[in-house]
Amino acid sequence: MKFKDYYETLGVPRAATQDEIKRAYRKLARKYHPDVSKLADAESRFKELGEAYAVLKDPEKRTAYDQMGSEWKPGQDFQPPPGWDAGFEFSGGEFSGGGSGADHSDFFEALFGRQGGQRPHRPEQGQRQGQDHHAKVLIDLADAYQGAQRSISLRMPMLDAQGRVTTQDRKLDVSIPKGIRAGQHLRLSGQGGPGLGGGAAGDLYLEIAFNPDPLFRVDGRDVFLDLPLAPWEAALGTEVTAPTPAGPVQLTIPPGSAANRQLRLKARGIPGAPPGDLYVVLSIALPPADSDAARVAYQAMALAFDFNPRIHLNG
Amino acid sequence: MNPITMTAFKGPIVEETVQLTLLELCQACRAEEAHVLTWVFEGVLEPVGESPQHWRFGGNSLRRARMALRLSRDLEINPPGVALALDLLDEIAMLRARLQRR
Repeated sequence: MKFKDYYETLGVPRAATQDEIKRAYRKLARKYHPDVSKLADAESRFKELGEAYAVLKDPEKRTAYDQMGSEWKPGQDFQPPPGWDAGFEFSGGEFSGGGSGADHSDFFEALFGRQGGQRPHRPEQGQRQGQDHHAKVLIDLADAYQGAQRSISLRMPMLDAQGRVTTQDRKLDVSIPKGIRAGQHLRLSGQGGPGLGGGAAGDLYLEIAFNPDPLFRVDGRDVFLDLPLAPWEAALGTEVTAPTPAGPVQLTIPPGSAANRQLRLKARGIPGAPPGDLYVVLSIALPPADSDAARVAYQAMALAFDFNPRIHLNG
Repeated sequence: MNPITMTAFKGPIVEETVQLTLLELCQACRAEEAHVLTWVFEGVLEPVGESPQHWRFGGNSLRRARMALRLSRDLEINPPGVALALDLLDEIAMLRARLQRR
């Protein structure tokens, strides 16, 4: 287990006041909140912030944490000293404001036990429907074109025989319907948390996201491809083979095509009713003038054209 | 047909085919009814129907309600602030998408 420096996580000195800690947390939490930030590691950063804040905002936990001394370095191998928590009782107040609660690090759990989001479930009278669960599934763009089956692994909180919450790894084969788009949800009835007292199980919601694609960009149901052309292809027109997520297509480039021109291939985007379109965005690539023959060719062009690309700059 | 094909779970696409009642929406995002009512009055969520008992939320309410819940819980934003944040996030998403189109 590695030591975690909660003060460093929040960027505050060890002598910071509770107000300074709160301010630092709020500022960083706004910056790294997964709904706000587009950073790839926003979610893990936000979790770390929540954990650090859960300890430092609570005077009792903070005192206990401070008691371990300031000699520890982040990442250093760590075991809690025996009896380190003598005299403290972590009654485990609500962890709201400290991130979503559950899923703290081993370091946190070794010190403060499993608490927070994982509130102990009291055995309840009567029936109760199981909780709905949420998970994210990454698929390839091609899966949205053809439909697919994906095997996904989930960590789910489950109730054991004594009514305690444990996490359980679960594998699930899911059918990804053709035409699904990023940000949409699949609902799998009865695949969420188990019901209590014979109540129905909750549902499982799967949020779909696409793996980044090296060729295609996606906006809703529309798909975009950058297609570079040689200057003479753009000027004279040509036939090219362009990739699409559903396989290559033959494209006619009209003569006089300018850079940034978009060719719309109707209904070649993500399938559906209505289907999306595939936009081919043209760009013009200049061949390098790195040989005598190439330089001669460019000079011949200069002679052949009476062309001033800056004419609009001269008033 | 191989056995994996037989056991794969299927479900509807929430945004396209599902309409949620107030109760279902609360259950799906583990939000309290009072929170959802506040968000409706702030215009964060726009159900159709005359009264809360008859409200039907479109599938995309699920994503918005979950974001509203996380923002108000994690950043302690009040309901008008949540409404503003969601509108701004929508606008940023739209601008990002427009950049992508070029």
